[in-house]
Amino acid sequence: MRKIGKLDWAFSGGRIPFESTGEEPEFNSHDKISVLNTSEEAAKIGIFIFYEDQAPVGNYEVEVEPKRLRKIRINDLIDPEAVALERNYGCYIRSNIPVVVQFSRMATGQQANGIMGSMAFPAD
Amino acid sequence: MEVFKNWSGSMSFKPGQIIALESEEQLCELVKKATSEGKKVRVAGAGHSSSPLVHTKDYLLSLKHFRGVEDPDLKTKRATVPAGMTVKEAGKDLYRYGLAMHNTGDVDVQTLAGAIGTGTHGTGKELPNLSAMLYGLRMINGKGEIVEINRENDPETMQALQVSMGSCGIFLKMRLQLEPAYQLYRKEYCVSFKDCMQNFEELKKNRNFDFYWYPRTDLCKIRIMNTDKEKMPHISYGSPELEREGPSHEILPRSRDLKFDEMEYVLPQEKAMECFYEVRKQVKEKWRRTVAWRLLIRTIKKDDALISPMSGRESVTISLHHNAGLRFWDYFKAIEPLFLKYGGRPHWGKKHTLKAGTLKELYPHWDRFQKIRKKFDPESTFLTPYMNELFNFEK
Ligand SMILES: Cc1cc2nc3c(=O)[nH]c(=O)nc-3n(C[C@H](O)[C@H](O)[C@H](O)COP(=O)(O)OP(=O)(O)OC[C@H]3O[C@@H](n4cnc5c(N)ncnc54)[C@H](O)[C@@H]3O)c2cc1C
Repeated sequence: MRKIGKLDWAFSGGRIPFESTGEEPEFNSHDKISVLNTSEEAAKIGIFIFYEDQAPVGNYEVEVEPKRLRKIRINDLIDPEAVALERNYGCYIRSNIPVVVQFSRMATGQQANGIMGSMAFPAD
Repeated sequence: MEVFKNWSGSMSFKPGQIIALESEEQLCELVKKATSEGKKVRVAGAGHSSSPLVHTKDYLLSLKHFRGVEDPDLKTKRATVPAGMTVKEAGKDLYRYGLAMHNTGDVDVQTLAGAIGTGTHGTGKELPNLSAMLYGLRMINGKGEIVEINRENDPETMQALQVSMGSCGIFLKMRLQLEPAYQLYRKEYCVSFKDCMQNFEELKKNRNFDFYWYPRTDLCKIRIMNTDKEKMPHISYGSPELEREGPSHEILPRSRDLKFDEMEYVLPQEKAMECFYEVRKQVKEKWRRTVAWRLLIRTIKKDDALISPMSGRESVTISLHHNAGLRFWDYFKAIEPLFLKYGGRPHWGKKHTLKAGTLKELYPHWDRFQKIRKKFDPESTFLTPYMNELFNFEK
């Protein structure tokens, strides 16, 4: 299968909501990236988190297997350090092979769940 | 001056001198010299404690030259481990002689002397902490004399020395009560919090069982180990994450690359889960905004060491973790009162804020321990300011 997508991606509107309602883990409020790897090769992904008032944190290392999709909740990243909830952040995603990255947020702080999603910005 | 840093980097200091002597005689001389100069001596193992147990501005010793298992005896199931050996080295060496430790902690990079000295433990409700293996000792007391002692010729004193954080003397060699080498089977599963709690009593029946709780997902990871004698359970409600099999010293420990700081309290088994529910509630309501690291819950059999955190009580431990480098004290200090409310005792080698006044109330044999300690170290050569805060509230 062809490699499709880009090597470098970014989004700037990160902020993981703190409040959640409903069963966990399904209904935890979260920010998430979905990474699609259509190629025959594993994609080695590096995630860098940017803040308003401190130096970026990263590299958070993640692998996406050949011809697979992987959903990554930003809330669950702890290495090198946990990403704080309710704090503005931006994100740069670097891959060794072209991939497609979509960003989404689920906010369940109120009974009526809110979900939004958009493409991350393909930078290269 | 060389800087000494602990594993996580949260405790560092400049000792007067870091010394790695090669003979018992040199060590005795050094202790005598320090005592006559009114200076302090501490021994550091692998630097895996994050409480300042080894903090000193005087002499900090390393026993790294004291290694190599001696006198293995398959009949009595005993062997002697020199105090410079790590848990990993001791495990490997003992295995060659057909012997094994009943348990290890979650890692095996500590020295066995350091692990015994703080009451380091693994998990398993029938398995006491590592100090329970200590049958006999060869050590240097505060007067610079070599003392030999064991459970048969002086069981009471051994109960004091077993968990004593280097406050009674420098361990040179430890005679251990061991088991014949054995195979272990290990399985780990991801399960819901509800399933973990519903099956907790049943899961505890495994030889080794513990679980992690993840604050940001409310999921748990259960970890189970058994020998050939027990049967591995079928966990229909979990998704398998890992399966391993091998000699015990290879299967018990895991490796830890990501640095963290940790507070761990040892609770009486009857109250531990109520405490855990309260801690979980508070973490979910307040702390998971900044904290994503898991909590670890383990079970440990009681022992009779005078100031072992598991002394006289079947125990369950709860530990909090936070990324090294992040603000862990705010979180740890907020949860610590909950541990105390349920009768918790702190792990000697991890973060806590207790001093002698509070600690004394937690240990029924406190005074007996202090009496024996003073006998071994009459000039307080091993009692640094931090150790003094731990032991001597009346000053
Ligand atoms: C990543 C990690 C994982 C851990 N996992 C566990 C776990 O699963 N279970 C658990 O209970 N704990 C655990 N701990 C805590 C650790 O086991 C203890 O802090 C242990 O005491 C560290 O041993 P050490 O060799 O580093 O000794 P140190 O921390 O250097 O010293 C500990 C104490 O032992 C004394 N000591 C050392 N050598 C001698 C000697 N020869 N004679 C007399 N006294 C001596 C020291 O003076 C000091 O008081 C962990 C710590 C880390 C960093």
